[in-house]
Amino acid sequence: MTATTSPRTAAGTPQPADGAGAVPAHTGSRTTRILGVLALASSALLVLYGLVISPPDVEMADSVRLMYVHVPSATYLYVGCFFTTFASAMWLWKRTPGWDALAEAGAEVALVFSFITLGTGSLWGRPTWGTYWTWDARLTSTAVLTVLLIGYLALRRLDLDPGARSARVAVLGLLLVPNVIVVNRSVEWWRSLHQGSTLSRIDPTIEGDMLVALMVGFLALGLVFAWLMVHRFRVAWLEQQADRFDLDEALALRRAEATTPTTPTDTAKGTA
Amino acid sequence: MIAMTHAGYVAAGWIGTAVLLGGYAWHVVRRGRKLSRQVPASERRWS
Amino acid sequence: MWRDAALVAGRDLRVEARSRVTLQQVGPFALLVLILFAFALDPARQTLERATPGLYWVTVLFSALLALARSAALDETDGVRDALRLSALEPAGVFAGKALAVAAELLALEVVLGIGVIILYGAEPAGIGLLVVTCVSATAAIATTGTLYGALVSGLRVRETLLPLLLLPVLAPVLLGATRAFEAALGGAPADGWPWCGLLAAFAVLYSVAGAAAYGTLLEGS
Repeated sequence: MTATTSPRTAAGTPQPADGAGAVPAHTGSRTTRILGVLALASSALLVLYGLVISPPDVEMADSVRLMYVHVPSATYLYVGCFFTTFASAMWLWKRTPGWDALAEAGAEVALVFSFITLGTGSLWGRPTWGTYWTWDARLTSTAVLTVLLIGYLALRRLDLDPGARSARVAVLGLLLVPNVIVVNRSVEWWRSLHQGSTLSRIDPTIEGDMLVALMVGFLALGLVFAWLMVHRFRVAWLEQQADRFDLDEALALRRAEATTPTTPTDTAKGTA
Repeated sequence: MIAMTHAGYVAAGWIGTAVLLGGYAWHVVRRGRKLSRQVPASERRWS
Repeated sequence: MWRDAALVAGRDLRVEARSRVTLQQVGPFALLVLILFAFALDPARQTLERATPGLYWVTVLFSALLALARSAALDETDGVRDALRLSALEPAGVFAGKALAVAAELLALEVVLGIGVIILYGAEPAGIGLLVVTCVSATAAIATTGTLYGALVSGLRVRETLLPLLLLPVLAPVLLGATRAFEAALGGAPADGWPWCGLLAAFAVLYSVAGAAAYGTLLEGS
């Protein structure tokens, strides 16, 4: 395997070997630009609907506006976890690095959304229940899920031979969604014994502008989620390439050392 | 602005969310740029 | 596979019998935790008695972390991993053996803790059937999950800090279920507790399967 890498300039920017136009040195692309614009536009729409157009709730007054962020972000938290578990399963099956990168992206983006879920949830809880934290089913499970994600990402940061690390991480990632399901079910069951209203109970007759605001919330946060996933996936991908690139370089250097003729034992050495 | 009950909490939630998402987005893009400089163009597969 | 399991369990238990770590260190640690809870919760105010089921299981969990870390560490020394890989032992069997060994240690620990709780917290045993079944299923859940997660962090320098971080959130439902079952038993309403036992049993089955399936990958991978 020869390293077909482009020579590096003094500034450290690789020159394209094929003479095509300069390739941008970032993780953006037409796709992400479109996604980004849509995400920003829908976020603006969300601000409009969420903060201005939709009316305050009958019971919750204006704190309901936090729900337009809280509920979608909880949803995308789960979507992110699903990506991680699915990608981990695929990695265990196919063993291609792209799946490993996807699993990493899913978990990290999910973690960000978990903080948003917890934050908006407890800020909603304060005016409604009087305390920042209530042990209701959703907040409690989300808290546990946050720790699960932190643990998963901690295992990823370990300084291990990538092959060994990927296997362990994939097994852990595969278990993420099952763990989430078990935790959610048991916590819900537990809290249902101490009947208290749950955050997840949005007034089922939500309608009109409030419903629109919620839908826009799903749209805007979904686009942001997608945008973040694409970029984070590419970052993970680049990291793998960078590791491999460093490895190739090191191997090339080593080989160069090994083939400089010094002693008769060279002839006995076969080429690698 | 329109008077709002619990304005502080709503504001904190929305602004906090924006800061968190924006900050993370900036962090990811910055890391992407840094890594892109280290990896030869042929490996990147997007544009 | 079961022969392999018996082989591995035998080895783990023989190491324990010779080194007596569980007996001389984990056991006293568990009792110490019970004592610390008394300092924290002031026995005079009855909090201890009301909280007994929860405190019991929290103590079991913390002690289990030690026992599981030790079980995983047994395979880290001196090329034992390679030996396991090269031997014809089925990975699922190795997993089962290790889990059984840890389960045995934990059950012994739980008995000792039970006595401790009766003496120190004045607990009055009731609903013994439920208590026993809960212990068995919770132990199965903890041992299987812990053996799998022990393999995930085995050989790593940060093993001591990573195992609790990874394992405790996963075992939260076990803590939940076992505590509720104990509360039901001690509170004279065992009918409420059996469903929680069911949860524990299902959990144990899930992780037995997961562990048996994944152990091979983990043994190879490192």
